[in-house]
Amino acid sequence: MNVAKYLLKRFAVMVLTLYIIATATFFLLALTPGDALSQRVERLPDKVAERLYARYGLDRPVMERYWITMKGLLRGDFGESIIYEGETVQSIIREKGPVSARLGIQQMLLGVTLGLLLGILAAVGKGNVWDYLVVCISILLISVPNLIFALLLQQVFAGKLHWFPVIGWPAEGGWFSGWEYTVLPTLAGCFGYIASYARLLKAAMLDVMGQDYILTAESKGLSHKEVILHHVLRNSFIPIITRLPMSVAMCITGSFFVESVFSIPGLGLYYVNAVAAKDVTIVMGETVIIAAIYIFVIFLTDILYTVVDPRIRISGGKR
Amino acid sequence: MAEMTARRISLPANRRILTEEERRPVSTDRLNGEQIARRQTTYWREAWHRLRKNPIAMAALVLLVLLLFMILLGPALSGQDYVNINAKEKNRAPDAVHWFGTDTLGRDLFSRVCVGSRLSLLVALVCSGIQILIGCAYGGAMAYFGGRVDSVMMRILEILNSFPYLLVTLLIMMVLGSNITGLLVAMCVTSWVGTARQMRGQIMQLRESEYVKAANMMGASPVRVIVRHLLPNTISILILDLCSSIPDYIFTEASLSFLGMGLSGDVISLGVLISAGKTKMDFYPWQLLCPVAVLVIAVLAFNMLGDGLRDALDPRTR
Amino acid sequence: MSEHLLEIENLRVSYRIYAGEVQSVRGISFCLDAGEILAIVGESGCGKSVTAKSIMRLIHEPGTILPGSHIYYKGEDILTFDERRLAMFRGGECSIIFQDALTSLNPTMTVGKQIMENIRHHRNVSKARAREEAIELLKKVGLSEPERRFRQYPHELSGGMRQRVMIAIAFANRPKILIADEPTTALDVTIQAQIMDLIKKLAREEGTAVILITHDMGVVANVAERIAVMYAGKIVEQGDADSIFYQTAHPYTEILLAAVPRLDLNSEEELTAIRGTPPDLINPPAGCAFCTRCGRTMEVCLREAPEMLRLGETHQAACFLLNME
Repeated sequence: MNVAKYLLKRFAVMVLTLYIIATATFFLLALTPGDALSQRVERLPDKVAERLYARYGLDRPVMERYWITMKGLLRGDFGESIIYEGETVQSIIREKGPVSARLGIQQMLLGVTLGLLLGILAAVGKGNVWDYLVVCISILLISVPNLIFALLLQQVFAGKLHWFPVIGWPAEGGWFSGWEYTVLPTLAGCFGYIASYARLLKAAMLDVMGQDYILTAESKGLSHKEVILHHVLRNSFIPIITRLPMSVAMCITGSFFVESVFSIPGLGLYYVNAVAAKDVTIVMGETVIIAAIYIFVIFLTDILYTVVDPRIRISGGKR
Repeated sequence: MAEMTARRISLPANRRILTEEERRPVSTDRLNGEQIARRQTTYWREAWHRLRKNPIAMAALVLLVLLLFMILLGPALSGQDYVNINAKEKNRAPDAVHWFGTDTLGRDLFSRVCVGSRLSLLVALVCSGIQILIGCAYGGAMAYFGGRVDSVMMRILEILNSFPYLLVTLLIMMVLGSNITGLLVAMCVTSWVGTARQMRGQIMQLRESEYVKAANMMGASPVRVIVRHLLPNTISILILDLCSSIPDYIFTEASLSFLGMGLSGDVISLGVLISAGKTKMDFYPWQLLCPVAVLVIAVLAFNMLGDGLRDALDPRTR
Repeated sequence: MSEHLLEIENLRVSYRIYAGEVQSVRGISFCLDAGEILAIVGESGCGKSVTAKSIMRLIHEPGTILPGSHIYYKGEDILTFDERRLAMFRGGECSIIFQDALTSLNPTMTVGKQIMENIRHHRNVSKARAREEAIELLKKVGLSEPERRFRQYPHELSGGMRQRVMIAIAFANRPKILIADEPTTALDVTIQAQIMDLIKKLAREEGTAVILITHDMGVVANVAERIAVMYAGKIVEQGDADSIFYQTAHPYTEILLAAVPRLDLNSEEELTAIRGTPPDLINPPAGCAFCTRCGRTMEVCLREAPEMLRLGETHQAACFLLNME
């Protein structure tokens, strides 16, 4: 099987997966008791209420709405928000997407870098003070929910010390604009990465260090440092790559909490609000888009895998 | 033959010569008795020993036991009621009577935290149980049927897996409403995927292993193979699974409450207490910090224990 | 200090595990001369691989080489080498080949790079020169299309080819000593002979002394000039190949020899299997370790360990059966 055929097949599976997710989400939402309009129309005359329902297509039978939604998805049209008048899912994503992306990327870069460094420290100094310190830190970080970190950081560094703004996000401008707003949210979100990557890399490195080829490397006279750099690290990064989808998932869930604590106008905050208000279109649209990103990351992970590990080839599957 | 060859060797003249008594032959029976019976160190005993030597894991175990005592007996010890509304004792700071202070309605926070922890822990236990049951059944079915069934079931897992966890949970909560049933379903709906995969892998690997093949060949009944070979090998995976999923569920429950999608009504859970405390944190921080502290300690203890168990059950890692 | 290339004196190695201290190697002494082939033979678990690793100082936690052990290389004690000296010794003066070439080669590094690594670590040569040398080595160990092999990863080669690559790495710096730890155990029988011949040929060409670790007396017969038989962490008999084969002094050696399949015996004579299991090395018996399996056990065997007796110029054995008139 050649690469093109493999990619084509993978793409087809991805589309199918996305379709199933979209359908499942749609019917889940259709099952939801009550809707976004029920409170709004409570005191309105029936005529007006009917017109409102008609405007969002909520008066039609479920199957018809399903077809309309699916056709919209195909065209990339996700529909109009019910609670935010005049806004469509596309416009919300165009507006809020970059905010969440910036936050997520900053968190991930900081967290993964620190986590990997700590992991190396712990693995190389196995059994010494550093190892115990890293183990303790990572267990502690894993055990404290990042929303608690967010609240504490906000209280201490913004509330008491006034070093950073309490809430908010730079309105417009380049990547580095308004960095002071991003410090606390980035910190609050990066702890989870630090903990999980430190633990993961440590375990992977210890596993590799026990392999026979490390003995071979040592028997060539390489120093401990050279063995770690040339032989251990690359091989221990293979299992790290598997965690990429997990990190993106962490980023998404993290954004729900961090954005709501710091009132950051990102996708996470909008999603939570939309779920609470039963804004079906926004929930549907955002779910599909987040799932699409997630599926793509999984795909990317598999591709990366074949790059890092020569034993895995696209045609042959694993091992 | 030995005597013949030995004779050809030139033996040193000054060597020691054995006495009559030393030369007396020893019977085979005595030799077998003489053999030192090695203490059978089973896998589990060894794992338990390794766990006991791990100070972090033991500390976690003690912490968990203490916590359990507090949760179960705490309200009885402090003598405070968790539903009694007392307008005169609103928002009190922690003192000798109200160990964690009181909430906005003057209810004793310590007993509320204890009662809330009970529910959170119970929910986590039930969810972990469901996760393991479904995971084992699904994974076992995949490994048992194999072939086409296996690959179709695997595809289903992959699709479930491409749904970020909290997203599904939020959606299901939205559909089923903020009650216990909704919470249980929402938290369990995709969480078993990992367990199923692990079980499948483990069973497949075992089925291919030489000793299970040998046991089959020698006519051991399937039940015996499962009890003697499959169970001991999978149970360590399940124990680790349990230790990491319980804190996860405690966490998720609290997170959902925090996002306003968790339990509501008269039920008390850690999540409910935390989200109630959040609104008052500027003025009465202990109302947030006390339930948070209990949650963090519980999760910490489970994680530490899980870490220790992982090392103890898998000797390669330490 | 002595004319021997390598002299091992009272080597003791222990592993600490939960159940106690496993005394893998319990005080062994032997020597190796330049250019000779010495085989260390014994069942699995007798400490022969641990001995091999000790010479390269590859014993890691929870194992330790106990104080009082000495490994002299050209008169210097390897166990006192500092980092730098050790880095020169390993891979430069002494090389090792392991049993399983698949797990002993780094899966994410090309074969060529792994050979070049050894060359460039010990000699200050340019990349291009090292590359040429590596390809030359691949040719020397009998691999076809060496340029292509150079770029391949270990998993793309067959078992025999991988072991040839290991041999190429080992011979990269013309070492004085090669330790081959069961180099053919993981291979097909037909390839086993090829690999053994290759090791023998290269060792002769380069003047390398070989310590061959094996459990297979059949392999030993064709290559070894001297043989040391190990049992339960001790050497029970050693000497030149002829003495071991034709003047066998220790009952364990006898049993090992009887366990070799031979073409010249007719099929009615059954192959002897070795009865029983080796003793527990956590609590090694006070007497002779072999007494439970020997068949000619005497009272003294249960109480004391036999002393090593000199039986010829190189031939030595430790068994109370020799302490009779």
